[in-house]
Order: sequence, then structure tokens, then C-alpha cells
Amino acid sequence: MNPETFQQLDKVIHERGRMAIMSLLAASSDHSFTDLRDTLSMTDGNLTTHLKTLQQAGYVAVAKSYRNSRPLTTCALTPEGRKAFSEYVGLLDKIVRQARGKKGFRE
Amino acid sequence: MQTDWAGENLQVIRTLMERASLYRRALAPIMLALGALGLAGGVLGHLLDWNNNARFVGFWFAFAVLALAAAFLLARRQALKAEEPFWSPPTRRVALALLPALVMGGTFGVAMITQGAGDSVKTSLIALWLMMYGTGLLAAGFFVRRGIKLLGWIFLILGGFLLLFVHWVPVLANLSVHLLMGGTFGGLHLAYGIYLRFTEASPDPA
Repeated sequence: MNPETFQQLDKVIHERGRMAIMSLLAASSDHSFTDLRDTLSMTDGNLTTHLKTLQQAGYVAVAKSYRNSRPLTTCALTPEGRKAFSEYVGLLDKIVRQARGKKGFRE
Repeated sequence: MQTDWAGENLQVIRTLMERASLYRRALAPIMLALGALGLAGGVLGHLLDWNNNARFVGFWFAFAVLALAAAFLLARRQALKAEEPFWSPPTRRVALALLPALVMGGTFGVAMITQGAGDSVKTSLIALWLMMYGTGLLAAGFFVRRGIKLLGWIFLILGGFLLLFVHWVPVLANLSVHLLMGGTFGGLHLAYGIYLRFTEASPDPA
């Protein structure tokens, strides 16, 4: 494996929990906090910590509103987040292809 | 190999993205439609009084086809609205997971007619259909939201209860087979659809 390619991996996304959050958000326009928590089987605290990290990196936008008089938190990827995730997946694909010489992820 | 983690990460990403797209695929409207169809079928079958084996099986096969068509149409409408491919790999996996149980249920139904089983076997057939459908939902539950698995278990347990204990519960034993069929299949789908409707995008925990 080319070590330079590994160095280029985005360290914010390259963590299992945050990668999972980014994957779900990349597949849909937005997700509620509870949907993310339940789908990923995370605790409230764990998910909040990861979302804060992603928010600070500018990858995730968190919106708060009300539904049935109760707070509703929804999360979505920002354009920067979508671009960073796409680059991250592209780099993983490149690493796999370099190592195995197989077909790419998107093919 | 040192780079296995990259391939594994790609697989995790692919699985989560597929799950997220299926997750939103019109599950609540599909469940509500299946529930309404099941209940309507139960009432209609009861009113028509089609109680011999061939008519009973034929009637519910027709309703199963109708229910499948409704589910496909609703899923396709949602996919078009979200600009997603309809017959995507995860949709295919869900369909394939359900298929063996549906085929087995259908085969039992046909066998019941061709082998001339007595009229009393219909309640057992309903129980078997419930259990097979539950098994199919459990298999499909690996690719869809977790509630589907719970619904699968409920179908399985209800079917088992019906098969083993129906004669101990006079209300059930004397109930019209169409009402029993419509009430169990329709009622459970409707209940799950209502649950989904009220919990989708649920508010944060207090």
C-alpha cells in the first residue's frame, strides 16, 4: 500500500462511528437524531459526541425544531461533508484497488 | 492482508447506505395498505361465504397478488419521488429473503386443494401461512429496519399459538376462517403501519 494514500484519508471520517453516521447521511437528505441512534445502536452521548466532531469539521448540519411540542433534531450532510465523504470513499477504493487490483467500489 | 480494513470499511459503508435508502422506502404506507386490504378481504370473504377449500385458497391467493401489487406500486412511487432506483440490490435482497417463505406457503395452499384435505384444515393452513410469513419477515429483517424482525416474531408466535391452541379458545375456533385470516394478517400489518406512522422522525428523547 502507498503510505501517502493512507495519509490522505480524512481523520475526522476515518473512525467507525463517524464513518457510519456519514454513510447514513450520504444516502438520504436528512435523518432524525433518534433514527441515527436506533439504526446505529449508539448511546445518546456517543452519537452527540460524534455529531459535534462532524459539525466542528463543517461536515454535518444539525437543525433543531419542534414536533408535537417536543424537540426534534435532524442531521444532514453539508456540501463540504458530501465532498469529503466522496473523497474518503474514493481513497478507500484506491487503496483496495492498489492492493488487490480488483474492480472499484462504484463499478 | 494489511489493506483488508479498507475493503471492510467500504463494505460497511455500502451496507449502511443501502439500509438507509431502504429504511425510507414507504414502509408505513405499505403496511397500512396491506392491513386495510387484509381486513377488507376478511370481511368480503366472510360475506361471500366462500368456505370450501378451493374457494378459500383461491380467494386469498388473489388478495396476496393484490397486496404484492400494492406494495410494489407504493415502493416504486417512493423510489421515483426520491429519484432512487426501484429494483436496487437491497430491494432485490429483501424480495429474495421473503420469496422462499411465500413459495412454501403457496405450495401448502395448492397441496391442500389437490390432495382433498377436509374443510377443518383451513385454520391450520392460516396458522402455517402466519408462521411462514413471519419467517420471511425475519429473513428480510436483516436488510430493513429492526421493527420488521419484531413483526416477524409476532407472526411466528401467533401462528404457532393458533396451530397448537386454537381448539382451546372457542371464540377463535368458531370464528369465520375469512375473518380469522383477515383479522390476523390485516390487523398485524395495520397495527405496525400505525406504529410506524406515529414514530417516524420521532422527537428526541425527553
